[in-house]
Amino acid sequence: MISPGNKIGTMADAVALVPDGTRLAIGGFANYQRPMAFVRELVRRKRQNLAVVGMVSGIEADMLVGAGALDRLETSYVGLEKYGLARNFRRACEAGALTMVDYPEVLSFDRFRASRENLSFWACDYLGGTDILTHNPDIKPFDCPLTGRRLYAVPPADPQVAVLHAIAADAAGNVLMPSHRLLPQELDLHIANSCDTLIVTVERIVPESFIRRHSALNQIPSYRTTLIVEAPCGAHPTPTLSRWLIDAEHMERYVAASASPEAFAAYLDEWVFGTTDHAAYLDRLGTARLTALQEFDAL
Amino acid sequence: MRTGPATIPEIIAAQLARSFRDGEVGFTGLVTGEAATLYGTTIPLAGMLLAKRMHAPDLTVLLAGWSHNPDLATLDVVPDSEFDAVLRDLPCDAQAVTYPGPFSFKRGHISFGFSSGAQVDRTGSLNSVCIGAYRKPKVRLVGPILQPEHMTIFGREYIMMPHHTRRSFVEKVDYVSGVGYPGGLAGRAALGLRHGGPEWIVTPHCIFDFDKEAGRARLKSVHHAEARATLQDDTGFPLDGVDTAPVTPGPTDEELRLLRGVVDPKGILLGRT
Repeated sequence: MISPGNKIGTMADAVALVPDGTRLAIGGFANYQRPMAFVRELVRRKRQNLAVVGMVSGIEADMLVGAGALDRLETSYVGLEKYGLARNFRRACEAGALTMVDYPEVLSFDRFRASRENLSFWACDYLGGTDILTHNPDIKPFDCPLTGRRLYAVPPADPQVAVLHAIAADAAGNVLMPSHRLLPQELDLHIANSCDTLIVTVERIVPESFIRRHSALNQIPSYRTTLIVEAPCGAHPTPTLSRWLIDAEHMERYVAASASPEAFAAYLDEWVFGTTDHAAYLDRLGTARLTALQEFDAL
Repeated sequence: MRTGPATIPEIIAAQLARSFRDGEVGFTGLVTGEAATLYGTTIPLAGMLLAKRMHAPDLTVLLAGWSHNPDLATLDVVPDSEFDAVLRDLPCDAQAVTYPGPFSFKRGHISFGFSSGAQVDRTGSLNSVCIGAYRKPKVRLVGPILQPEHMTIFGREYIMMPHHTRRSFVEKVDYVSGVGYPGGLAGRAALGLRHGGPEWIVTPHCIFDFDKEAGRARLKSVHHAEARATLQDDTGFPLDGVDTAPVTPGPTDEELRLLRGVVDPKGILLGRT
């Protein structure tokens, strides 16, 4: 039972907070530290008509597109970087089956800052001449009331629900971030403060005493979180900084599988529908594979 | 170590290096894919490292947009992941891991950057979003990424095109994700763009600069004589000076010695042969 003192729930509880049609922000960046166990559960539960608002998107968006869960995607990039193109995304765009809203990258960060500051728009001065304006009726030109300068009012990210993957949390909902963070973990903190329903999947649930020993790393205090779900290696196949490497072999398998709708359906049958939950998914990966993905950190 | 006459990547790296000024800040992403990496990431890195050795010791190299002056000499391969432990643990002067961070994109702290796209046109506008109509495109590409910022809030932009073909050099791009000079400098001003914009377009065959008043790319130099025969056919907009444009000056002996012996002794930036 979720209460102020105990926010621990299951992945099914997490997905119950995300009904069909939800406007969702998914933590992580490009193909780093995505809450993939949660994304797979969305697919298992056959969520529909979702909208994802992102910054730089990767496998998490492509999988939802390929599963038919996504109607709308707002972001600056969709791809699998060195592993290849986001082929499900590409096919859906080319078929006219996805409402795509393109934003510049820094501006896509700023849209979350606008939400974080509870502003109704973010002001941008560098969009003139781009086709971003041509195709986005939600961006409105205005003249700065102080200087007369032409600016553009850009809508905030405003997700209804945000989901992150982090290292550790306690039952009260305090979330620890690693001491040496990189941009994906820092941007997660913008996402965490961009809405009121925050789900955090974690490598491990830890006791309060552990949080208190590492309080400088508690960047998401308990009153900010809605639900905590334990999901070890929950970002697989994307990496979790200081814990897990990216599973390059699985990324390549994913790219190959997304070459056609039939091959992708077979991938989902094997890795998502064919595994009842995240524990079953980890069993399918196997101990040898998981052990090989462990990262040394802070020797 | 490479020997023999300067290669095209070496010629380009030397040209880029001479255009960088001391104290500037140069921004490169980590572009993936063989030719795309060479033009988008490693030639720019070699150019910046050469400039630091020649005339610009206080040039700042911003690798992947966040690692300041990383120690590439310790590496056997160029990093190909922006946010994993390899780049995190590479010794450097500073790491920009927050946004907003130690520099401001929007106050002109980035002097120049490098970008690429599936299409570039005569005005220098870039496209990495789609080929064909925006809704139901013939080919959907990755998205605008940081191009809108590169082409407006950076001081200047080097457009690095790994392939020079009629498909990529077009009269007008299908989607403007990075703005060039439509209507020239006056056109940019009318769009509210007060600074920045493309400086050169670099290809395996030539370098373009811009008549910024007129808003047109113009042939600046050609890397090798054979390119003159095919350059117009490979370019989807009319070119002036195909026969008269100068040959791109190669590196001096000193520049070549530094490129091969100091900047890139393992051949990880500009190739081994």
